[in-house]
Amino acid sequence: MREQLEQMRQSALCAIAAATNEDALNEVRVRYLGRKGELTALMKGLGALPPDERPVVGQLVNTVKDEVESVIEQTMVRVREEATAKRLATERIDVTLPGRIHRQGSKHPVTLVIEEVSEIFAGLGFSVAEGPEIEHDWYNFEALNFPPEHPARDMQDTFFVENELLLRTHTSPVQIRTMLKQKPPVRIIAPGTVYRCDSDATHSPMFHQIEGLMVDKKVSFADLKGVLTTFTNQLFGQKTGVRLRPSFFPFTEPSAEVDIACVICGGSGCRVCKQTGWLEILGAGMVDPEVFKHVGYDPEAFSGFAFGMGVERIAMLKYGISDMRLLFENDVRFLQQF
Amino acid sequence: MKVTYNWLKEFVDFDLSPADLSDLLTMLGLEVEGVEQLGGGMDEVVVARVLEKNQHPNADKLSLCKIDNGKEILSVVCGAQNFKQGDVVALAQIGAVLPGDFKIKRSKIRGEESCGMLCSEKELALADESDGIMVLPENLILGTPFFEAMGLKDTIFEIGLTPNRADCLSVVGIAREIAAKLGKRVRYPSVVVPEYGEPVDSKVSVVIQDPAGCPRYAARFISGCKIAPSPAWLVNRLNAVGVRSINNVVDITNLVMIELGHPLHAFDYTQVAGGRIIVRRAGDGESFRTLDGQERQLAATDLMICDRDRAVALAGIMGGENSEILDTTTDILLESAFFDPPTIRRTGKRLGLHTESSHRFERGADLEMVPLALDRAASLMAQLAGGCVATGRADTFPTPKTPVSITFRPERANALLGLSLSADRMAELFRNLEFQVQPVANGSFLVTIPSYRIDIEREIDLVEEICRLNGFDQVAATMPIAQVISDRPSLHQRLQRSVRDHFVAEGMHEIVSFSFIASGAAERLKLKEDDPRSNSIRLCNPLAAEQAVMRTTLLPGLLETASRNMNFRSLDLRLFEMRRVYLPVPGQEMPHEPIFCAGLIAGVREQESWCRQAVEADFYDTKGIVENLFEQLHIRGVVWSSDAPEPFYHPGKCCRILVGGVTIGTIGEIHPDVLKNYDIERSVYYFELNFEELVRLAGNRKVIVPPSRFPDSVRDLALLAPLELASSQLVDCVKGLRLKELEEVAIFDLYQGDRVPDGHKSIALRLRYRSSDRTMTDDEVQLVHTKVVAVLTGKLNVTVR
Repeated sequence: MREQLEQMRQSALCAIAAATNEDALNEVRVRYLGRKGELTALMKGLGALPPDERPVVGQLVNTVKDEVESVIEQTMVRVREEATAKRLATERIDVTLPGRIHRQGSKHPVTLVIEEVSEIFAGLGFSVAEGPEIEHDWYNFEALNFPPEHPARDMQDTFFVENELLLRTHTSPVQIRTMLKQKPPVRIIAPGTVYRCDSDATHSPMFHQIEGLMVDKKVSFADLKGVLTTFTNQLFGQKTGVRLRPSFFPFTEPSAEVDIACVICGGSGCRVCKQTGWLEILGAGMVDPEVFKHVGYDPEAFSGFAFGMGVERIAMLKYGISDMRLLFENDVRFLQQF
Repeated sequence: MKVTYNWLKEFVDFDLSPADLSDLLTMLGLEVEGVEQLGGGMDEVVVARVLEKNQHPNADKLSLCKIDNGKEILSVVCGAQNFKQGDVVALAQIGAVLPGDFKIKRSKIRGEESCGMLCSEKELALADESDGIMVLPENLILGTPFFEAMGLKDTIFEIGLTPNRADCLSVVGIAREIAAKLGKRVRYPSVVVPEYGEPVDSKVSVVIQDPAGCPRYAARFISGCKIAPSPAWLVNRLNAVGVRSINNVVDITNLVMIELGHPLHAFDYTQVAGGRIIVRRAGDGESFRTLDGQERQLAATDLMICDRDRAVALAGIMGGENSEILDTTTDILLESAFFDPPTIRRTGKRLGLHTESSHRFERGADLEMVPLALDRAASLMAQLAGGCVATGRADTFPTPKTPVSITFRPERANALLGLSLSADRMAELFRNLEFQVQPVANGSFLVTIPSYRIDIEREIDLVEEICRLNGFDQVAATMPIAQVISDRPSLHQRLQRSVRDHFVAEGMHEIVSFSFIASGAAERLKLKEDDPRSNSIRLCNPLAAEQAVMRTTLLPGLLETASRNMNFRSLDLRLFEMRRVYLPVPGQEMPHEPIFCAGLIAGVREQESWCRQAVEADFYDTKGIVENLFEQLHIRGVVWSSDAPEPFYHPGKCCRILVGGVTIGTIGEIHPDVLKNYDIERSVYYFELNFEELVRLAGNRKVIVPPSRFPDSVRDLALLAPLELASSQLVDCVKGLRLKELEEVAIFDLYQGDRVPDGHKSIALRLRYRSSDRTMTDDEVQLVHTKVVAVLTGKLNVTVR
């Protein structure tokens, strides 16, 4: 019996050594350790032995069983590792082939600028206000201190529509609508579409503006300068030089054009800034007392500033676009670059 | 407004380079938009003398000259004949670059060497036309640069004036600004009119019938003038500021207008009947020929200058052809008047007639400048045209205007500007501007404004002057002290952003198209005439027929964009637009301007590549984008209805999108006729949603359900259904059972063809069953599934395949 056991052990170990893959090992396991396996049969055969020998032989069989079991396990781990290593060694892909891309879309640069500017002003406590594009003369002109037949109206060539309405020439009527609706303090920006009958390489009959308005007690021209400096620094990068110079708008006084140091040449003079080193990007000023009277604010109790910028102008500077018409041609080869 | 550096220097002393002067003006609000050098870079054009003028040996029309440039004798070939030996001329030497980038080189002309060119006025851009070369005065030093010798070296500034600064439409006006900034005084021209003979009243009488339109009218009578070309200095000066020389008398009126800002008009006295000037409004239906030869139809609001019998000028805008200065004119009636700005503006605008004169009058001339401008011009006419000025002015000024005085509070100015200037400093700034300052109670001033500053009417105007003259750069940048306002963007604003983000994530590019479209767009879209979208708001003054009406749908803009892109061979398009449309509201003045969002899909779903075949996108790609959006906005209960298809869609491949019975949008394949109208040759899919409805319907996230920890069982079910059965009915029917063990139902296969009976299709459902509290046995699953099958076959006209 012992010899038989030893023989079986030897042949099992040989079989294990001969097995080169997982399946072969599993076969060995079944042959020796399965329900009808050889070692199992031997165990079953213990009953035929005299009772005093049974424990000794039983233990012996178990020892062999355990040994075979454990060698199979170890071999199994090794065979699997080898199999994996072999598989990994043979599988190769060309990682330089392009991946499966789901094409990304894009927002229009006008939208991108409006979103960015709105974000910057949100940080300064300005919320977004909106108003109609088809407007009354009163909101677009009169309440903003453009009397009828005033030469200042020539600055803004107007599209008229039926019913004595017009297409707003600027986003400033939103100021008026906002102030008529609420009492100070007011802090809004009004992005939107505006229209002027003018069309050439630098003018589009439809374009976009972002208007800003702050009204409170003791707001000063110096505050306007501070807010616009903060804004331009955030939009174009820290320490962008800012210059205010006198100008004229009927609805502000004093009025200013706001220039930034040319973002292309840094102020040394180039084609974009026409050699001046400065780029005009905003119109601004202190709200004219006439405007306050039109909306029922007391100009002695409150003061405020307003500013406005052309979205296309900023988009062109930010993205280095030289022709405004590109913005409205909607060529996908242009749009997909954003 | 153009002005030159040298001209300004005649009125104010300053020690600034042209570049510094340019900066100073810009920072005063007189923006220098262009700077031009007169005679700049042309130092190689020098004064020279003709020593010999001989016939060119090989050319009849050329002469061969010996020219002395002060240093050497040069040989020059010349084609002009209008000069003789001994004349002083302008020689462009070798190396000179003339206007038009014309380089002078050593050359051989018909075999003779030519070392330069004798110049005409035209070649030096001093005149539009010229006849022969320039013959210069005798006394010039040979070899000196021509422009320097002639006093023509100058810098021209082009100033972009804002409409409020009528006072700066003159050299003296700009000089006043420079003087104010530098704390200097302006030298006004001192005018002495040599008056002779009879008093003006014996020749000229003035009646103002409309003092509102013409508060002041002054005239002088100048006899015995000789109309002739102006002297060179006058021609050059006018040329420099862009005014063409006409003759001495007309040039004088133009010179004075540019110098003093006051427009004048010279009449041929013999054409002014009775020497009588009557200022009145035109009769309705009257017509008048202006000196540009145009017949003008007048309106009763137009202000006219008339003589005893007829109109002779359109007041302040343009004179009449009947009384203009001719070469034969000798006696002149010279007008200097003030006209009401709105009157001039209205007439000019109606007639489309904008002149240097009307430009100044409609912005507001200076009432007090009337006599000075008149005298200045009269004295020049005596001097340059040999005229004899009658004694006195016929000056009619019915109601002299008192100067404007304004109370000014220095502390108010400091508060508004964020400055801390002393009251004394402010007073000094005002005095520099020639404003009179008188202290009154409480530290305030009474400031009296000169007549030319018509833009200063209120305290705030004075505040601005303080800031402007003190320097905008002197204002510090501070941050306002304000109450905290927290205003979260509205739902409307937040959703605009997330809807855009959604479309971008779907691979779509945003476009921005014009809000105005062609008036024929509705027709091109096959919209019926009674369709509300055919009734769009019209522009009264469109720039182009393609921009005539306000859009009522985003479709035309997207189709045009698609068409244009396809022309450039960009065939695979995923575009969206999210902007307003403009809908008239019956009975309401203001239209409704809802935001719509629309998408257009054409071409392949995904770019073809090494690992993927190109598949054309279709209706369901498009619908998926919309479904995904609804999912994101938590909009439920969406019905896709094929009823009442839109005319611009393929009738069998489109639908309305309804929620709660309200149409919130449409989707479909564009009708081939419409595609043809936009020159598109490939299938295009489109959807359009009313964003305002999306905002109204946007819901909240459903309650979150914890996922079951038990295994699922999947059953597939193939059903034979009539072709017309909407597949959504199957899904709705199953979902309608509200079985808690049914986790999911989906359509996973659709078949139409030979293997099913005619008029039928096969639809396969995949049903996933799972319990939240136990593992379902096969029997349990089968029980539920059988129920589902029974309901489907019972309620709908379907059978199990």
